[in-house]
Amino acid sequence: MSSVTRNRLVAGDSTTSVLVARGVLAASALAFFASWLVLFQWVDETALVAGVHVLKLLGVALVAAGVGLTVVGVGSRLEYFESTPSSSAGLPVGFVFGLLWAVLGGLVATRLLGNALAMWLPVAAGFGIVGLLVSVLPREDVGSTLPVAAILVLLGGYVVVGGINAGWTWSPSWSSAVFPGSELVPLLVVFGALLSAWSAAKAREGFGAEGRQSGAYYLVGSVVFAMLGVLALLVAFIVKNGLETMLTRTSLTGGHLTLPFVGSVPWAEFPFLMNQTGGLFVEVPGVLPAVMGTLWLVFGAVLFAVPLGIGAAVFLTEYAERGRFTQVVEVATNGLWSTPSIVFGLFGLAFLVPRISGGNSIFVGQLVLGFMLLPLVLITSREAILAVPDEHRDASAALGVTKWETIRSVVLPAAMPGTITGVILGVGRIAGETAPLLLVFGGSPYPSSYPNVLGSFQFSTQPPFVTNDALLSPASALPYQLYSTITAGVFPKEIFTNTEFGWGTALVLLCVVLGLYAIGVGSRLYFRRKLHHE
Amino acid sequence: MTQLLGQTRELPTRLRASVTQRVEATRQWAHNYRSRTQDGAIAMHGAIFASVFVTFVLFLVASAWTVLPVLAFLVVMGFGWYRYQAEAAKALTFLTTVATVSILSLIIAFLLIRSEPIVAHMGLDVLTRIEQPLWTSNQGGVYSLTPMMVGTAVTTVIATLVAAPIGIAGAVFVSEIAPRRVREVVKPGIELMAGIPSITYGFIGLTILNQYFYEEFRTPTLGTYFAAGLMIGIMALPTVVTVAEDALNAVPESIKSGALAMGSTPWQTTKSVTIPAGLSGVSAGVLLGVGRAMGETMAATVMLTHTKGFPSPVFDVFSNYGETLTTVIAFEGGNASGLHMSALFAGGVVLFAMVMMLSVGSQYVEWRMHQKLGGER
Repeated sequence: MSSVTRNRLVAGDSTTSVLVARGVLAASALAFFASWLVLFQWVDETALVAGVHVLKLLGVALVAAGVGLTVVGVGSRLEYFESTPSSSAGLPVGFVFGLLWAVLGGLVATRLLGNALAMWLPVAAGFGIVGLLVSVLPREDVGSTLPVAAILVLLGGYVVVGGINAGWTWSPSWSSAVFPGSELVPLLVVFGALLSAWSAAKAREGFGAEGRQSGAYYLVGSVVFAMLGVLALLVAFIVKNGLETMLTRTSLTGGHLTLPFVGSVPWAEFPFLMNQTGGLFVEVPGVLPAVMGTLWLVFGAVLFAVPLGIGAAVFLTEYAERGRFTQVVEVATNGLWSTPSIVFGLFGLAFLVPRISGGNSIFVGQLVLGFMLLPLVLITSREAILAVPDEHRDASAALGVTKWETIRSVVLPAAMPGTITGVILGVGRIAGETAPLLLVFGGSPYPSSYPNVLGSFQFSTQPPFVTNDALLSPASALPYQLYSTITAGVFPKEIFTNTEFGWGTALVLLCVVLGLYAIGVGSRLYFRRKLHHE
Repeated sequence: MTQLLGQTRELPTRLRASVTQRVEATRQWAHNYRSRTQDGAIAMHGAIFASVFVTFVLFLVASAWTVLPVLAFLVVMGFGWYRYQAEAAKALTFLTTVATVSILSLIIAFLLIRSEPIVAHMGLDVLTRIEQPLWTSNQGGVYSLTPMMVGTAVTTVIATLVAAPIGIAGAVFVSEIAPRRVREVVKPGIELMAGIPSITYGFIGLTILNQYFYEEFRTPTLGTYFAAGLMIGIMALPTVVTVAEDALNAVPESIKSGALAMGSTPWQTTKSVTIPAGLSGVSAGVLLGVGRAMGETMAATVMLTHTKGFPSPVFDVFSNYGETLTTVIAFEGGNASGLHMSALFAGGVVLFAMVMMLSVGSQYVEWRMHQKLGGER
């Protein structure tokens, strides 16, 4: 709606209501963020801001939002403000408000009348019915503002007058925990702020269909924002805690590299990545054995799973008729995909360990992770092969090329990008997998050497003719190292505590896994874009 | 009644008919195969399958001679690849398919075999016993999985309460609300989050969430069902968002455009057209997320107390008890033996059965959605 068509003859005034609604939105946003700050304990519960306790300020914000909502709602109902409300806020809204009011009534009743069921249940039910009626019966502008405003004013007012303060506690009989006011208030304020933002966003657009859209978008937007915020904070937290450990004694020129003919030249030094974890003469313990272990695990799993997965995908898409057999394979693949990782560990323990190594070993770990990788490779390469247009196959067949030649030189090359993406994503997943490794793979918590797989192949005349002790003995991997660091007692070296070493390991693991994921996601975007441009 | 009798009487006839049909089809197939394949290729196929079968049998009995049929397989395959490449490739792809299916069957078989001793020892008590002692090697070994099943149920419910609403909101946001540019950042971001290893989440939960609840809410122990469930819910979020978003995206654009053309706002379209049409896919995503939460091991293993028992009341999520099916296997699997180990395998069976039910359920739901929306194809 452009401003040119605005008619000055309309009775109501809409700018004031928009202004008030914006004020309410701002107050809610402030309260929302401030509560998270308090919940995350970045701001102390008892801190004073401008001479007032933080919790009381939150209460004031809620009361102000409630008053603002009342002004907008009642003003719109009395036609002071221009708006286009529907005849009712609708039953779903009514039920939500009824529920909220019932909870509120129940809480008030237990505070005033005691904890007996016969006392608080009727009060809660009465409150709920009143809330339902108040939000459903009147016009939408009243129905979707006043019930919210009442809750906000009651809640905020109770906090402001000191009914709940930081030292207040609530210890219900059904819970072993005690709920302190210092945490309950911000939590309640978060929900209150979401409610008032929804209501104010509706009011800003003058209710009606437009208003409902605006309200819903605000609600969904803030929830998603909070979710992304939490996820980003998790990553930032690991980086912040792990970076110092990871960079201990790192320098660009501290180490040296011995080159043939030239001798020793200055080289970058990275002790946390390049040192052993245990051992007598290690000054800065590092994660080299775990990194090597993870590399071997991933290498073996890929070597096992990728040919199997691609072969099965080719058979299913090119050779097999769609029918009972392909359905069984599909169900089996999806089942394998959703099987919990610890169950794979149990299977490796029962089936592979006694037959291959008689104990924990790298080889069994590789196979078990390969089993876990297999369904993902199968699913993604099958999708990639299905996505190859039939024209390609027809053109090849028209030239007199046999079926297998077509698959080998037309279908598989075209499906390769999708398959590679799938494999990379799958590798990112299994590189961080810990649970099966606990049962079939893990060795000493602080290894002092890394597995020398290439150097320990031995040939003999006895069956099985080729043996490899390194492959058949336990080792460490990044996620396993993290687990054993967390659960072990005291760290053997003084330079780090267990927790510090854990954060460093977690950061290295995160870099490896997220790096793989980033490559996978990026390559998928790249290939998809390339495909769409053609 | 007579109808039923009639059907029963017809049964042998029908059975015979279907068997004859099956035999006939097989004969037809064998005839085609015989006439289209060279004699050498048939011999090669026979040798390949025989060597693989012998390999499997020898491996199953843990013989050191397993290497011989493997070598035979490699030789036959190499020769076949040189002479009859197409036939060899077909046989190879068939074998890989069979291997994939047989891995799942082997998993089921070995879980059942290894959990048989505890069932023989305790009967159904292994799933239903609620009296003390619950988990001890004394008295000839008493291992009841009931407290762990309760624990798994409690953490899964909490995780679902966290992940389902927020995950669906996230899916709606990414697929319907976010402008193109925001979506291109947020969607890969959420997929990246799905890649964070569970042990890392567990470490954060252990050092932050557990401490937080212990200090602020004065929980009796470090580590509660609530904290673990919360963390698992956050972990399951990206799965729910990604799958549910795919489902909403799969709703044909024409349906949405139709609603928009009738003058409804984008939100009305989302609420009354897109979400109902994609509902089955969205619920498949939620089911998948629930399955992930149920099978989640490491975060819970690190965060929970490993005390077995029933909180009273059951929904006291802050009690000092903390053990789920996955955590008990991960925590005790390393040094268990005999009946104890068998009990852990029984736990694996229960877990596997529950997750498989969720998986099949979500596949069925998704299949229904394809039936409903794929009408034009």
